[in-house]
Amino acid sequence: MADTIALIGNPNTGKSSLFNSLTSTHAHVGNWSGVTVDKKLGKLKGANTTVIDLPGVYSLDPLAKDEAVVADYLMHNEPNLILNITNANQLKRNLMLSLDILELGYPVILVLNMIDSLHRTGRQYNLSILKDNLGCKIIATNARGHYGIKDLRNEIVKRGDFKEGPLKIAYPEIVQQAIRQVARDLVKKFGFTLQKATWLSIQYMNKNKYVRKYAESHHLTPLLEQTEYYDRQDFNNKILTRRLEFINKLLAEAVERVNGVNDIEISNQIDRVVTNPILGVLIFILILFLMFKLSFDWVGTPLSDYFDSFISGPLSNTFDNWLIQVGAIPALRSLIVNGIIAGVGGILAFIPQIFMLFACIAILEDTGYMARAALTMDRLMQVFGLNGKAFIPLIIGFGCNATGVMATRTIEQPKERLVTTLIMPFMSCSARLPIYALVTAAVFPQNQALIMLGLYLLGIFVALFMAKVYEVLFKVKENSTFVIEMPDYHVPRLDVLFHSTWENGKGFIKKAGTIIFAGTVFIWLLSNFGPAGFITNSSGSFAAIIGRCLVPIFAPIGITSWQIISSLFTGVLAKEVITSSMMVMFHTSSQAVLVANLTQFISPTTGLALLTFILLYSPCTATLATVKQETGSNKWMIYSLLSSTLIAYIVAFIVFKLSSLII
Amino acid sequence: MLDYESMMINMKKQYKLNSLLKLNQATVTRLNNLGIHSGSKIKVVRFYPFHGPVIIENNHQRIGIRYSVFKILTSGEENG
Repeated sequence: MADTIALIGNPNTGKSSLFNSLTSTHAHVGNWSGVTVDKKLGKLKGANTTVIDLPGVYSLDPLAKDEAVVADYLMHNEPNLILNITNANQLKRNLMLSLDILELGYPVILVLNMIDSLHRTGRQYNLSILKDNLGCKIIATNARGHYGIKDLRNEIVKRGDFKEGPLKIAYPEIVQQAIRQVARDLVKKFGFTLQKATWLSIQYMNKNKYVRKYAESHHLTPLLEQTEYYDRQDFNNKILTRRLEFINKLLAEAVERVNGVNDIEISNQIDRVVTNPILGVLIFILILFLMFKLSFDWVGTPLSDYFDSFISGPLSNTFDNWLIQVGAIPALRSLIVNGIIAGVGGILAFIPQIFMLFACIAILEDTGYMARAALTMDRLMQVFGLNGKAFIPLIIGFGCNATGVMATRTIEQPKERLVTTLIMPFMSCSARLPIYALVTAAVFPQNQALIMLGLYLLGIFVALFMAKVYEVLFKVKENSTFVIEMPDYHVPRLDVLFHSTWENGKGFIKKAGTIIFAGTVFIWLLSNFGPAGFITNSSGSFAAIIGRCLVPIFAPIGITSWQIISSLFTGVLAKEVITSSMMVMFHTSSQAVLVANLTQFISPTTGLALLTFILLYSPCTATLATVKQETGSNKWMIYSLLSSTLIAYIVAFIVFKLSSLII
Repeated sequence: MLDYESMMINMKKQYKLNSLLKLNQATVTRLNNLGIHSGSKIKVVRFYPFHGPVIIENNHQRIGIRYSVFKILTSGEENG
């Protein structure tokens, strides 16, 4: 079996950052809980070892969905080594998870990360006392400052001389006896190893929700029969108390005073301003504004324009000339130039904007600002029946709805998570930008930025409105919980920003190469073939026939052009495809030409209705698939598709009617 | 019930938490995860207006909680 190392630790311990330093392939790193929404794999640098980065969890007893991933992993896998990453400054509570892991009995290296911030408080730990009492190796690191990484890697490669067997904590005799008894039964009847059976029993007594469910579904009768007894005897509190005693005693022994700088913590200073009730909100708005400016105005758009003029100009012409020279048949030339280059190239031109947006999100995550944003927004979000923690996924939704839906896993309460998932598609994702840019350029060339801002705001408004509706329907308020850790601020690390942006952005490039490519070819076929075979005039094509059939449905919201209707249809594949389909339908590879074409087809009022419809209608296939995966049901996926399309139609109708009155 | 003004005065105070029993299970679990148990001592770092969130500090760790949770946590005894 391949050599496998699992990274397990609390959120905000620098786990993913350490993963990046250790491995040659990279995961997404962030500074708030739940950045690693599913396990990520990497290869240890210079060794044939797989490293698995699991989501940050506080304990093995899952409260939020991402936490179940870890319990599930340990239940079904046997890693050769576990790296338990802890925040040295918060060792006391971090060790609660360590005990869970050490009791399992796999070889463990306990990593005291962020050791620098511990030293700043004037403390350090005697590593050999920790080692002797916990029975595992201890290494101190500072992943951000690259301190101790080499030692850690050497220790991983060296392996060897790990203490045999799991950590044994002196639980009260009544608990010990129960553990011995039930573990013996589990070994005998179900073939568990004694080690695993013991661990399973402790977790079960400790009311670990995942393990209890597992025991039920696997009919582990020895445990099930004793449930009432364990709970009546308050076993979980007995275990918790003894563990706390163990940790307190250990840390009291191991702690040493050093000449701490005891500097006025910078984080506290920053927090004084950033979490200021009034100033904090202003800063928050300013940050959002800067984010949009950077992405769509100062950096992203100029680069995109440059890129586009290259693709639609020199690149497209070179290919066209070359194809003429080699004597390609017109149909093939049309497929390559008007189909593939126009469609895929038109989308690739948006890479700068999208990467810029992801880079901004990465900065907010890596500095530790996201947790503050969630806190600042909680009160307001509650008004709409949402949790402050929904805020971060929704912001991520501006980048990509599918990623946003995945990020909702950090919301503990299932109903709040469902509502956040359902309103996610109304967050205007970056894939919708290309088509906004086109339509606004055609209809409102003077007020592009204003109209786009309006669209984002409209999306947010509809999202919040629907959240309120769902709050009443689902009775969300019950059992809502909001407790959030405020990590220390960090200066963002460039390599982390780069990798995070790349990890998120590369999905977009991948899509351009696969689904958008396929979509474009499909659209090209539909618009270049008709009942009469290959045609040069697309008004006789299949696309035209389908589009014309749908005109009566779209006429009430002002859209009467079959080209646009057919393009909208393809947008369900991926929102970027709308633009590329239009390029194909209007037979051009230049945005400027397309804009000129659109100007003839849509009036300002139609433009507004069209933009509204595009903003709100059915989520793309990737998002739909994620909704299904995260809610675990087809029902919510179909609901999401139908409800958002219906809402889009209604709102677009209202916008059309209202704007007809005004304009 | 404390109003905002008097809470501002209480900012410097240290609260010793009584019992987490009246909170819902998810909140208790999360507080435990972050090292807060009954008997823990916390300091208030910031109150937000309109009964917004409260930032508390325990053991060099800052945690954001809702005002309603804070009220339950600190009802009863408090040590100056």
